[in-house]
Amino acid sequence: MTRILIGALLALAALHVHAQDAYPSRPITLIVPFPPGGVADITGRPTAIALEKAIRQPVVIANRPGAGGAVGNSLVANAKPDGYTLLMALSSISVIPEADKLFDRKPAYTLDQLVPIALISADPTILVVHPSLPVKSLQELIALAKAKSGQMSYSTSGIYGALHMPMEMFLHAANLKMRAVHTNGGGPAITILLGGHVEMTVGGPAAVASHVKAGRLRPIVGWGAKRHAAFPQVPTFKELGYDIEYYIWAGMFAPRGTPEPVTKALRDAVRKAVDDPDFKSTMAKIDSPIQYLDAPEFAKYWAADAKRLAEAVNAVGRAEDHK
Amino acid sequence: MDGGVFANLMHGFSVALQPSVLAYAFAGCVIGTLVGMLPGLGPLAGISLLLPATFGLNPIIAIVLLAGVYYGAMYGGSTTSILMRIPGEAASVMTCIDGYAMTQRGRAGPALAIAAIGSFVAGTLSVVALMFLAPTLASFALRFGPPEYTGLLLMGLFVLAYMSGGSMLKTLAMAAVGLLLGMIGIDAMSGYTRFSYDVIELADGIGIVPVAVGLFGLSEILLTAGQPTPPAIQRPTLRQLIPSLEEIKLSVGPISRGSLIGFLIGIIPGSAHIISSFVSYGIERRMSTHPERFGKGAIEGVAGPESANNSAATGAFVPMLALGIPTGPITAVMLAAIMVHGISPGPMLITQQPDLFWGFVASMYVGNVVLLILNLPLVGLFVYLLRIPYSYLYPAILCFCILGVYSVSNSVVDVWIMLGMGAFGYVLRKTGFEPAPIALGLILSPMLELSVRQSLAMSGGSYGIFFERPIAITMFAAAGVLILLGLKPLLFKRKDWREKVGLEDQV
Repeated sequence: MTRILIGALLALAALHVHAQDAYPSRPITLIVPFPPGGVADITGRPTAIALEKAIRQPVVIANRPGAGGAVGNSLVANAKPDGYTLLMALSSISVIPEADKLFDRKPAYTLDQLVPIALISADPTILVVHPSLPVKSLQELIALAKAKSGQMSYSTSGIYGALHMPMEMFLHAANLKMRAVHTNGGGPAITILLGGHVEMTVGGPAAVASHVKAGRLRPIVGWGAKRHAAFPQVPTFKELGYDIEYYIWAGMFAPRGTPEPVTKALRDAVRKAVDDPDFKSTMAKIDSPIQYLDAPEFAKYWAADAKRLAEAVNAVGRAEDHK
Repeated sequence: MDGGVFANLMHGFSVALQPSVLAYAFAGCVIGTLVGMLPGLGPLAGISLLLPATFGLNPIIAIVLLAGVYYGAMYGGSTTSILMRIPGEAASVMTCIDGYAMTQRGRAGPALAIAAIGSFVAGTLSVVALMFLAPTLASFALRFGPPEYTGLLLMGLFVLAYMSGGSMLKTLAMAAVGLLLGMIGIDAMSGYTRFSYDVIELADGIGIVPVAVGLFGLSEILLTAGQPTPPAIQRPTLRQLIPSLEEIKLSVGPISRGSLIGFLIGIIPGSAHIISSFVSYGIERRMSTHPERFGKGAIEGVAGPESANNSAATGAFVPMLALGIPTGPITAVMLAAIMVHGISPGPMLITQQPDLFWGFVASMYVGNVVLLILNLPLVGLFVYLLRIPYSYLYPAILCFCILGVYSVSNSVVDVWIMLGMGAFGYVLRKTGFEPAPIALGLILSPMLELSVRQSLAMSGGSYGIFFERPIAITMFAAAGVLILLGLKPLLFKRKDWREKVGLEDQV
């Protein structure tokens, strides 16, 4: 009896040692720093399913919403770097530490605490106006905004939020002044525009597409490097001579210090996952264009994006400096 | 679709009565009832937990299932409120007051029956309204901008001033505590974090779930534990469920008014199903010829709010289905559930997806019948649960509270807030303060602040914006009338009307 027990224990121990060196040997947690139903969540779920197939371990989504993503982001930034706690973050990841700096707050996390694994999707935003506004092009919009300097208003998804930054980039580049009406999310920002309470907002293509089709909103200009497939008639800032670009993107991160073999295994798995036909069809269904970039390219992309966003945050500055 | 409403509805029933759709509607209603009963685990948490499971289903089934959970929770929420003074979810807070008082008077059965019947009537009437009025009413709701919200929320606060049974001074003090708690977190207009003391979870503000579960649920458990002998639990048999003729007569008005108010408030974006029950309670009390009965087991105080929250839950589907606009986090998750299936929400939804819209409408008729059957005979079963000795039951409820609060955003900080609020609520109630206004203050404060400041951002700082817009000015006028009505007895009689009717002694 004792022998059997010892034998079993030894076998277990051997299994354990074996488990230690082969990543992944247990389920992986993918932290989504936003509530269910948001962009990060609806991108994260199909990614987790496809990743599961590629890596042969369950990938569990854990929503840790709070403080515009800061709660979940800092959780992963400070997690054990063993590859079992990963992050599905949005572009706002670069904004939060900058805003913390602006307000002399103890930062919830810093960008160098995270390493990029892969970019999953990126979608340029679109500027939409209420159809009662007598403008059909960017030139007309700028002319009107100059004539009514400081009188026109736009809604945002929240101060320094994903749908506030691109508008500030535009206002800064065109040297315009407008009133920012901050709301608490992308949905409310569109609702308040639909009711005609503000004149314009910035929207994700998927969120505004049906309203544009129904004539409730008019698209004016996009932030992409080239025209958006769903809005081929809408020009970009780039073609109109403004050097501004902005994307809402979703990417996967791991804590800094994650061993090289682990990140390599993850990168290989994500590469396979984004090629998965089920993943592709799910992403197409939710109108989220797959924009896969492997770690080295994603790191470059992220650095450039973080720089643009940091400039925008500092251009906005603190609210009271405007008064 | 040009076949007329009736033909469309028949088509909808042909979808909703398919065995698979029917089975999921039933499952949604059962889960919803349970979710509504368990403290802390509200419809939002329930729907969010179920969301991943719906990705593999077809979109009609997904939305029928999730909607069943939502309005099922509105039914279930009343049961624990009435029997144990523990609101299963936030919209049932008002039901606790008179529902539990009825239980103490031995009328738990009729209270449960009226709550279920009121929910059924309101649920069914509001589906009829949803079906006929969806597009028209949705465009009306869009006209509510920040100034209109400010007016609406101010009205809500004035209703709050009258809703609690205790002294007005104590009520206002508690509301102030709630408003102050609502100040915690990032200032939406400037980005400053307020009173968060470097706890990043606090940067988002304090959630209503941990506060409500702590204040109402935990404090009740603590209070009961402190009593020398556990109070006798009412165990109504099926026969005792039948309300008296008097009770039925008293409930007709509140149920019809609650249905109407709830539906109208429901279509306005916000945490409508919670506010609607507060407003309904306030109105019933105001309209009653015997307001002194409120707080002591008035059946109207159960019938009105329970009807209103059900009707508001249905009303919330109007802008969601007709315009693709979520009225709150619950409808936002449901929109996400249909978007995953490639259906884009928006003004085109009803015409492009007639199966989905009419099948959904028909399933709600079916669901309400299912819930009525589930809740009336099953009430006996739920009550049976309470025969479990408190030494087993209360630790179990405590577990559910902690799990439920944690599961909302997987946050341990929320659990601590709940525990702190439980202790706070216990002290308050031991010293004769009613905690309900804290919860409403906490809900209204961030919304009110945001809409005031959004309005001012729109106008560039001019307060004139509140008086230039017809809907807003109507709301402010109504709020003004409410203040005057409230001041009148204070100015012209020496005593508060509450004192006159003997409400000061109650709490």
